[in-house]
Amino acid sequence: MAVLAMKKVNICALKKDRKSILETLQRIGIVEIADLEFDQDFFDKIDTMNMRSVFEKNSLIAKEALEILEKYVPEEINFLSSMLAPKEISKKEYYFFLNKVEEIMHVANEIIDLYSSINDKQTKIAQINKQVEMLSDWKNLDVPMNFNGTKKTKAFIGTLPQNLDDLSLRELLSELLPDEDRYDLKVLNKNDDQSFVFVLCHVYAAEKIFETLRTLGFAWPAYSTDEIPGVKIDSILKQLDELKEQARLDEEKIKSFKDQRNAIKFMADYHDMRSQKYEVISKLLHTKNVFMLSGFVPQKYAKKLEHFLLSRFNIAIEFTDPSEEDEVPVVLQNNGFSSPVEGVLESYSLPGKGEIDPTSVMAIFYYFLFGMMLSDAAYGLIIVAVCGFILIKYKNMKAGLKKALKMFLYCGISTTFWGFLFGSFFGDAIEVVSTTFFNKPIVLPALWFTPINEPMRMLAFSFGVGLLHIFTGLFLQLYELVRDKRFRDALYDVVSWYFLIGGLVVYMLSAPMITEMLAMNFILSKFIGNIGLAFAGIGTLLILFTTGRESKNPFKRFLKGLYGLYGVTGYLSDILSYSRLLALGLATGVIAQVFNKMGTMAGNGPVGLILFLIVFLVGHTMNIAINLLGAYVHTNRLQFVEFFGKFYQGGGRKFSPFFANTKYYRVTEDICDD
Amino acid sequence: MTSLGLVLALLGAVLAALMAGIGSAIGVGMAGEAAAGVVTEDPNKFGKVLLLQLLPGTQGIYGLLVAVLTLIQIGVLGGSTNVSLGQGLLYLVACLPMAFVGLWSAIRQARAAVAGISTVAKRPDQMGKAMIFPAMVETYAILALLVSVLSILNIPRINI
Repeated sequence: MAVLAMKKVNICALKKDRKSILETLQRIGIVEIADLEFDQDFFDKIDTMNMRSVFEKNSLIAKEALEILEKYVPEEINFLSSMLAPKEISKKEYYFFLNKVEEIMHVANEIIDLYSSINDKQTKIAQINKQVEMLSDWKNLDVPMNFNGTKKTKAFIGTLPQNLDDLSLRELLSELLPDEDRYDLKVLNKNDDQSFVFVLCHVYAAEKIFETLRTLGFAWPAYSTDEIPGVKIDSILKQLDELKEQARLDEEKIKSFKDQRNAIKFMADYHDMRSQKYEVISKLLHTKNVFMLSGFVPQKYAKKLEHFLLSRFNIAIEFTDPSEEDEVPVVLQNNGFSSPVEGVLESYSLPGKGEIDPTSVMAIFYYFLFGMMLSDAAYGLIIVAVCGFILIKYKNMKAGLKKALKMFLYCGISTTFWGFLFGSFFGDAIEVVSTTFFNKPIVLPALWFTPINEPMRMLAFSFGVGLLHIFTGLFLQLYELVRDKRFRDALYDVVSWYFLIGGLVVYMLSAPMITEMLAMNFILSKFIGNIGLAFAGIGTLLILFTTGRESKNPFKRFLKGLYGLYGVTGYLSDILSYSRLLALGLATGVIAQVFNKMGTMAGNGPVGLILFLIVFLVGHTMNIAINLLGAYVHTNRLQFVEFFGKFYQGGGRKFSPFFANTKYYRVTEDICDD
Repeated sequence: MTSLGLVLALLGAVLAALMAGIGSAIGVGMAGEAAAGVVTEDPNKFGKVLLLQLLPGTQGIYGLLVAVLTLIQIGVLGGSTNVSLGQGLLYLVACLPMAFVGLWSAIRQARAAVAGISTVAKRPDQMGKAMIFPAMVETYAILALLVSVLSILNIPRINI
């Protein structure tokens, strides 16, 4: 359980070595580089913004090209691959790609161009299809669509909003224009709500006829052309085929680049790395020939770093202890048992300055509480099996995910343990199955007791666990205070509460009312109870007179003391909060029982068996999922609120070393053995 | 009139399932809308927002739990259905904490979950904290569950 000690490192080297030194640092990834304050008379800084944006652009181009490739030639992947850490790149591959940067970027650009040209063509194809659709309504017309008559005639080509044929249209017109017969007409096409008509008339009658047609709702076509519709359709269909063929060829061409996928992946990483490197360059100090670099490195790697760099470069390197003002970054180091919960700690906050790393203490409680909440042996075994399988099968997993899986593995073990203690295996599945299908009840005996039969006992146990958890938190606070030689604060702020809360608990355990209520099978003697009460009294006085010790005004001090004493309600609610251990444990068990019962409702026959299997599978899957979530969330809550609330502030900054933060390939070199 | 006790007890069971279920349905729905919005922007956050969406769903489960426990106790699911009027009333009253607190806490928890989802949308690294805020609300549903369950389990011992 520790926060790793940090050293400050200063490196001074020649500018001509800058590239290789930085690349080395990037590969080994153990130095966090600080942005240096600088004296403008001696040093310069380089603004690398422009360079970086070029690299970032290139990286985006490569990523876009990959996405397009993925669309046309999907990579064969299994569903876990997104969780795996990037695979290491060989030196040979690295230099092979490095020599062809321009070539590969050219390919990437070409893929993007091809894709946008396919897109253009597809838009065009859609437009043309629309045109064909509109023109096909007029395909019976054998004059150009914009034909509007000859010297002596006038033509109206358009639509009428009725379903008409030649005869009915003629009738309509002759009704409206009884005296006019200098026209001819033809309905070219029709559908339910409109007719496509061609009307030809003498120029002298044109105005009248047009007016009449207008009253009938005549409209010019939305799309017109100076060609005969049928001919036009043929010509654009040919164009359509051509476009489709071209788009297909483009697509083929994109597909032909599938062998370049790895190269393009490397390009994305390569440009990301360069961008990261240039970000670091902007933090360095430069003179004409020399540059300076400063940063943090974990103390235990300091010697290795020194040897590694000195054996390769001509540099000056020194290590110093961080000063008081330095905001030292935090790295946690824990053993295999507790490191899995580091992620949970990190999601709260990393240890601040001078705080201890509570991971290892927290880990014990974490697994313990999680197991109590889920508390079903079968569920626990399933979790262990799933996590164990993934961990063994996929060794090369992203670090964070690996930790989470390990955490759930341990939680699963704890769940199994509690499940057997409380006699729960898929709820009461063993009893239900043996009774229903074999007519011989077999009960899995609880190794300790069955919470659903003795809820008060479980409640008392939950409070006990809570008390232990909270007192442990207080103890860590005590430890920190004593370590910093603040003995008075330790006495006033921690020991006083131990006296008060501990004393009260002892007193309550000697009161028959409480022990009966909590179904305890023991009771402390009156005498011990009174000792407890005395301690509680001392604690109370301590809190009352010391909480306000920073105020000079005695009245104010007294009020602050009263307010401090009010904190006892906080402890009360903290302890009551652990009743969720009982509630969530019951929730798992009872819901499991409900599903088992539902499954047996169709009795013992083949139908009953099938129903049971279905209900069992669906029901327990759902129950695991929902209770796993519940146990996870509420274990976190108990840690964050009840436990951390007693001693932990956090606020540490995570150590973020300069390293090759890549997506597809791992470009690292391990100089630290562990 | 002899079966009135059973009716009252059943009413309690149904109320617990009904109101807590409604609360969770509303809550999970609200959170789901917010979650879907985040996924349109960044499909990779699906896992995270799904967890947050599920948080207000537990009240419905607790309601179910209380309901089924009551049904078992009063013998609706098999066994004898011998519930006196007094006991029936007791069951009804015992179910009420879960019914009311379930309804309200699910909705309130959903609002915290929606806020948490927007936190995750902007700062995915703050997932741990975003989950804790809705979980705070759930505490009260758990307390209600506890009161209901403890009462229901102990009612048969009361001779009324």
